[in-house]
Amino acid sequence: MSDHDFHPLVMQLLDGDLTIADLPAELRAQGEEALRLLAAVDRRPVEVPGVVQRVMRALESRPAPRRPRWKRALEPREIRLRIRPWLLAPALAIAAALIVWIWPARLTAPPPLVTVRFVLVAPDAKAVSLAGTFNQWDARATPLVRAGANGVWTVSLTLPAGQHQYAFVVDGQRWVPDPGAPAVDDGFGRRNSVLTL
Amino acid sequence: MLTLLAVPLTLLSMQQPGAIAQRLAGRVSPNVAALVEQLGTTGSARGLPVDPLIQKAIEGSAKGIPDDRVAAAVRMVATQLDAAAAALREGGLASDTLAVAAGAFAITAGLSANDITALARVGARPQALTVGLRVAGTLAALGVPPAENIALVSVSLRSGKSAADLLLLPADVESEVAKGLTPAAAAAGLSRAAAAQARHGPPPGHGQQRPHPPAPPHHP
Repeated sequence: MSDHDFHPLVMQLLDGDLTIADLPAELRAQGEEALRLLAAVDRRPVEVPGVVQRVMRALESRPAPRRPRWKRALEPREIRLRIRPWLLAPALAIAAALIVWIWPARLTAPPPLVTVRFVLVAPDAKAVSLAGTFNQWDARATPLVRAGANGVWTVSLTLPAGQHQYAFVVDGQRWVPDPGAPAVDDGFGRRNSVLTL
Repeated sequence: MLTLLAVPLTLLSMQQPGAIAQRLAGRVSPNVAALVEQLGTTGSARGLPVDPLIQKAIEGSAKGIPDDRVAAAVRMVATQLDAAAAALREGGLASDTLAVAAGAFAITAGLSANDITALARVGARPQALTVGLRVAGTLAALGVPPAENIALVSVSLRSGKSAADLLLLPADVESEVAKGLTPAAAAAGLSRAAAAQARHGPPPGHGQQRPHPPAPPHHP
């Protein structure tokens, strides 16, 4: 009897899907015979001396397939990192020092805010505004409002503590220092008022 | 190691040039912008602040000043920043951009590099020194001569006055001047009072920090 002559149910028995008791009575003898043959199979590994070496030699002698450079560049690679603990501490220290050096202003708390009232007496003015380091010297950014009929112009601003320079701009043209505040040379032949908060 | 260093070095490369151009865009002429970029980048590499250069360029343009004069003023600010930084180093303070900017302002107001060094040698913390330099510049703008100015700010820094108290010094001088004293005499009197207070403690009722914030700078 060859393997091909086994009944399909006997093949299931050999596959372990059925047991000998599951087979119909007329197939049990065939099943037992099949199991006996299976048990008699020599399962020791087949060794062919030198076959591995011959295969490896054949592979090594074959030229590697050529791939475009761009394809090789895009291929995923395995990167191995070896971290030496004694190098880690100084590296962290240098990194921290560089960050502190580069961004010192961002690491400190923002300055507190102070509200300041600016006042100018200009009875003949049609418009007065305030320009300074706090509004990028924009003559239109901070207009003053006339307070009453006696020519008093005023505005209140909340500014960060620090030093600010400024001037009033009267009628959009005339830059006027604050008569009530200390002033310094602006470098252009005029005076800037100084506010130290 | 290289990975760790890459983060701050990337931040450094991102820092100045783009920021300067962005702040000046549409505000100053291309020539002035290029000058500020150049001075700002080189100064920044030496630990100098960039903001005063940007501010002076914008100010000149806003005031309608011709480009050549704006450029001259920006160069002057750069020189003052260099002088202030050198004076602070001479006084023992390493790079601190706020202190340098405050020192440059004090020089603009009429103090010398030696005056800046003298204040730095008091040994106050950088934050207190920065306030002291701003106050000294303000006192100079009020007409207080350098000798009396530096004496008053130095004794105030040495006695450990708070920033709020330091900021009141200009108003105190103005108050004395309003009574008829010269700015020099007013500052000298306040110096003597501060020195006596440092020796014997505050007079009765004056031991606490003043409760009110810095006074507005002017009156109609």
